[in-house]
Amino acid sequence: MVVVVLPPVLAAEAGGQSRFEVEAATIRDALGALPVVDRLFDEQGSLRTLVNVYVDGVDVRESGGLAGPLSGTETIRLVGAIAGG
Amino acid sequence: MPVVLLAGTKKALFVFRSDDSRQRWTLEGPHLEGWSVYHAILDPRDGALHACTNHEVYGATVHRSRDLGKTWDRAEKLGLPEESELKLERTWHVEPGHVDEPGTLWLGAAPGVLFRSDDGGATWEVVEGLLTHPTRDRWFPGAGGMCCHSIQLDRADVSRLHIGISRAGVFRTDDAGEHWTPANSGTAADFLPDPYPELGQCVHKLLRCADSPRLWQQNHCGVYRSDDGGDSWERLDGNGLPSGFGFALALHPRDPDTAFVVPIEGAENRVTSDGRLGVYRTSDGGETWATSMEGLPERAWTGVLREGMASDTFDPLGLYLGAQSGSVFASADEGRTWDEIASQLPPVLSVEVGAWS
Repeated sequence: MVVVVLPPVLAAEAGGQSRFEVEAATIRDALGALPVVDRLFDEQGSLRTLVNVYVDGVDVRESGGLAGPLSGTETIRLVGAIAGG
Repeated sequence: MPVVLLAGTKKALFVFRSDDSRQRWTLEGPHLEGWSVYHAILDPRDGALHACTNHEVYGATVHRSRDLGKTWDRAEKLGLPEESELKLERTWHVEPGHVDEPGTLWLGAAPGVLFRSDDGGATWEVVEGLLTHPTRDRWFPGAGGMCCHSIQLDRADVSRLHIGISRAGVFRTDDAGEHWTPANSGTAADFLPDPYPELGQCVHKLLRCADSPRLWQQNHCGVYRSDDGGDSWERLDGNGLPSGFGFALALHPRDPDTAFVVPIEGAENRVTSDGRLGVYRTSDGGETWATSMEGLPERAWTGVLREGMASDTFDPLGLYLGAQSGSVFASADEGRTWDEIASQLPPVLSVEVGAWS
């Protein structure tokens, strides 16, 4: 199972749950299984600009994107970019 | 009767409770921590709370609570159709629908769009007539984006609404949103080559009197009143107002000649006029204006945004003011005296009041 860890604002949106275990073949599938998927992607299906996705510590924007395959042992961390006031 | 005052801030929603004397307030919250609450309402028809919530990282949405803030759910699939080539940027204002349409709510958002819900706010459909308006290519964003921030219903005609978009102007529909007509005649757009165009005005806040066809607006270029449904507007600032620029506006539910504004120094220096926080009142339809500030800070260079002032329906009238300094002020005597009921909140974006038992 892939582990997905949410930051506090999204965990609150998921009923207080910050850690999810999901079965997914790709990173996009793993994110799509979350109850906060609409906060990660806009209505056109694009990952929101300031949402960062790390798979075992590697930013997916630097490692092939959301189509990247998962073996089932990874930990995905969602991190809001440092922005705003 | 319990009274609920909702203060939307840059980082959360705070809920104040009182009774109809409005002398003592208790503070609950923060709710929706981390979200910028641009506007929140208590729907008087069913007691539900609805909040326009925006986040720098996680986008724009609407939250709803049916237990006065204990728990919240989020709107499903709120967004714009792919063929529009637009994306939802911010949610700005939520308005309960007509009393004869108990499940209906309206939502104003950027970029210049309006949504309608017919299931109490669970799901929303974009209003196509505004999304595809033939003048859209002549609309432009103001400093806060191209926000549809004002939605005013005609209590006598379920099909008629007025909306305000910065900076596209005021629009009216007489068929529940299928068609929209610009309603800006007489309002200035000093920042354009033609200062009186058909549209493109920067309306900051639009309100309709409760039992009168009269409309008021605080505009980028003055304070205005319309007595013919927005077909024409009369400029009202100058007789006692230190500035025609401002955002906040409140009306008296029983007296269409009474209105309240908070003048701001100007477009290029958005702090309260004359270095103080002054609420200015007219009781003669805008002919003259005067302020009474007892209880408000005499030295203040703060901001009051478009949703930063609200009035209730009690007698005497209650007024509420939220400032970007993080203070909330309340008056239970029609604005003659004020109490600071909270300070050191995050910058206040909106205040709204409702009663629910």
